[in-house]
Amino acid sequence: MAIRVNPKLINELETYGAADVQNCYHCGNCSAACPFSKEPFLIPRRSMRHLQMGLEEKLKGTLEPWLCYYCGECSQQCPRGAEPGETMMSLRRWLTSRYDLTGVARLFYRSWKAELVALILVSLATMVGFLTMGFGFGHGSLDVYAGAGALFPDHLVHLLDLGLAGLLAAVLLTNAIRMWWLTTGRNRGLHISLWSYVKNAFLLPYHFLTQARYSQCEKKAPWLTHLAIFGSWVTMEVLVILLLERFHHQETIWAVHVFGYLATIGLLGGTTYALVGRLRKRETHYKHTHPTDWMFLILIAGAAFTGIVQHASYRWFGLDSVANIAYVIHMMFVVPLLAVQIPFSKLSHLAFRPLAMYLAAVHADALADVRVGVAQTEPARLAA
Amino acid sequence: MEELRIGVFVCNCGTNIAQHVDVDAVWDAVSALPGVAIARSYRYMCSNPGQEMISKDIREHQLNRVVVAACSPRMHEKTFRNACRNAGLNPYLCEMANIREQCSWVHTDQLAATEKAKALTNAAISRVRYHEPLESLTAQMCPATLVIGGGIAGLTAALELADAAHQVFLVERTATLGGNLARVDLTAPHLDSARDLITERVTRVGANPRITLMLNSELQSLAGYVGNYAAIIRTKNGNGGVQERKIDVGNVVVATGYQEFDAGRITHYGHGKLPNVVTSFEFEQMLRKGRIETRHGKLPQYVAIIHCVGSRNREFHGYCSRVCCMTALKYAHELKSANPACYVSDIYVDMHAFGKGHEDFYKTTSEVKTLFLMFDKNNRPVIRKAGANDDCEMLIEVNETLSRERIEIPADLVILMVGMEARADSGEVARLVNISQDKDGWFMESHPKLDPVATTTDGIYIAGTCAAPKDIPDTVAQARAAAARILGKIAKGKIEIDGVFAEVQDDQCSGCRMCNELCPYSAIEFYQESRRSHVIAAACKACGACVAACPSGAIKGRHFTVEQLHAQIDGVLA
Repeated sequence: MAIRVNPKLINELETYGAADVQNCYHCGNCSAACPFSKEPFLIPRRSMRHLQMGLEEKLKGTLEPWLCYYCGECSQQCPRGAEPGETMMSLRRWLTSRYDLTGVARLFYRSWKAELVALILVSLATMVGFLTMGFGFGHGSLDVYAGAGALFPDHLVHLLDLGLAGLLAAVLLTNAIRMWWLTTGRNRGLHISLWSYVKNAFLLPYHFLTQARYSQCEKKAPWLTHLAIFGSWVTMEVLVILLLERFHHQETIWAVHVFGYLATIGLLGGTTYALVGRLRKRETHYKHTHPTDWMFLILIAGAAFTGIVQHASYRWFGLDSVANIAYVIHMMFVVPLLAVQIPFSKLSHLAFRPLAMYLAAVHADALADVRVGVAQTEPARLAA
Repeated sequence: MEELRIGVFVCNCGTNIAQHVDVDAVWDAVSALPGVAIARSYRYMCSNPGQEMISKDIREHQLNRVVVAACSPRMHEKTFRNACRNAGLNPYLCEMANIREQCSWVHTDQLAATEKAKALTNAAISRVRYHEPLESLTAQMCPATLVIGGGIAGLTAALELADAAHQVFLVERTATLGGNLARVDLTAPHLDSARDLITERVTRVGANPRITLMLNSELQSLAGYVGNYAAIIRTKNGNGGVQERKIDVGNVVVATGYQEFDAGRITHYGHGKLPNVVTSFEFEQMLRKGRIETRHGKLPQYVAIIHCVGSRNREFHGYCSRVCCMTALKYAHELKSANPACYVSDIYVDMHAFGKGHEDFYKTTSEVKTLFLMFDKNNRPVIRKAGANDDCEMLIEVNETLSRERIEIPADLVILMVGMEARADSGEVARLVNISQDKDGWFMESHPKLDPVATTTDGIYIAGTCAAPKDIPDTVAQARAAAARILGKIAKGKIEIDGVFAEVQDDQCSGCRMCNELCPYSAIEFYQESRRSHVIAAACKACGACVAACPSGAIKGRHFTVEQLHAQIDGVLA
């Protein structure tokens, strides 16, 4: 059965950042340069071809963009300037919008203004919410940061944290299940054993925590930068979700706070490196920046910076009122970052990447089984 | 008959001959033969000292025959004939024994090779005693030229010759000049107007008093030989009558062009049945009119271009038509500039972008978002009518090679890139001017690389697409090359005819005319008054067909007489 092409797909991907895909004439230099291009995953050439031809369903079901870490080698080797690396990046954005059933991700990726408005609205709502909580039913005082009578009592904030975390986890899980369905579940040709799912399960936390595959790219610096930002961010999340009450304690608990310091340094250093890189555009993977990338980096940097101000005001200078104001502003960065970017934008990759590694291993198992089966049915070759 | 004094010169050719032939043994064997005045062996006979050795020996030993046992006569016969001429000996009294290509290079057994070399040399010695001194002849060169075909090749050749102040007769079958190029809108890869290219030439041809333009005309017959052809041109006049005119020319340029492949022969492309499947020439017509539209007058949103229609497939023509790839890219550009939103899919077998600027043109066509799809030439796309719910006229199923996917693409208009083929009447033209055709009907060149515009008939040149598919620059280059070849001959004033040709001995000819039809070069004419056949020396290539065929033995092949051949055979067997 012939597959009907979608003639508009290539134009649609342009709104996700793809450019010059049509220049590719399939010499294969990109796949020769890519350390990850191995059967059954032909990175990035197959995706380039499917995109040129508008094979939408094939692309929806591919894991390949998630197996690419954009080292930029393919784009550098391309004799026609077809930017395969950037195409894979834009395909990841497009796939994120395909996994999201609400259509919000699609809206945000196609219109940076929509995402900006959403971020601002969430930011303002956060401000209103926190002020209502502080001055309204909390009856707290602007001059008290921690302990009794604090403007933002830590147990309330902690409850909010857990609520948001639960909500986001539910959304991410839905999207992840949809990703599994599109790439694996609906694929009738793929016979996957339950054992394969179990056996490979360790890959999920392994790739989540280490981004081990990223480290196999020829250039190591991007992986280290990513690991720094990721590690700091996860540390912060653990601190604020699990240990918030200790974090807000009047006494400085160094066993906890030292991690806060380290994470802040990691976040500021990492985002500064990425922001400077994207402004200078010297490295291939920093040449093209989608508006969502800017928003992502600015939100993280803003959150880290306001976190420092809040921390310094309270702990170094004893200015509780300044610390409270800084905290509201800090939350106005953090909440939009989590509430908008995790379910509908760039940050969602924290779920999709490890899931892709896991599913890739599962696919490879299934295909290997098929090959063994074929080999067994072939007649033994006679000696010449 | 004077006393025979033969000089035998055995060449070592470095180690080429000496490695497998004992040259001294050959020299030893022939030096005592009757008539041999002197025998020598030397490392390189063709070198200057070698040639001087031969000349010096001819003078000092009063040699009247020379045998050189060396390489093929195709390689160095001229060299050794010159050495003889320099010493005052008629060059035709020299004979070569080929002990390299036909002996040392093809044998490994040294003893046997040496024996064979002795036999070959002996044959040459035996033959050379019957050689006669021959003189080459000269004939007049008529400075006028006949150019057949008024396309870009014919126009260019005619102008080149006329600009050098020579008379040209330009014969064109139709009522207008320009040929196939006049049916084209823009040209690839620079998107220049074809009309501009032709108009300039047509205007200059019309204004040049040295060009006699004969429209609605065809060559009726051509007789004679290089420098002295008589052509009869048949012209249709306005009221249905026909005029014939005889013209004398020295050379002929055949520039009759090509015809396009009939797309209807590939039935499942549906040309002639599906209303919006058009050939490239039909699409050119739309472009020239300035309206790209479907049969229903709509602007097409989806256009598919299919390559290699009739080309590169054994079913029709195995060769590549060379211009269609770039023409297809040109269409993609023109479609995109007419309607930037147009979805252009270019369905090709292989993209041949070999010329100057073509690869860049291919790239810019990609940049305007042309979808390139590759198919296997034995697995052609299938075109069918779209359904009522589709937003297009047709759907094309392609087994896409690069992705190995079977896909379906929309199309409102399908352009079939029809290839070039030899004109239906090219056999007739070939017969009229006595040139050969290859298996596809293209006219054959004298040598595909070293002599691409000359033919095996002296004075007949071919230029442009009548010889093989080619683009405009190559066609123009060939036309100018043919003109240059002719100008060179005209500049010499006379033509030199090799002394080796066939001769009819009048007293023995019975007038049976068997040889007349047999001659592959049309070199034998028949004198009605004396009822004898006569060989035109200038046209004769000395192939010997008539000599062998003559029932009366009346035809003598000069330099290949019966005595000479018998003596050679006796020598090799001795």
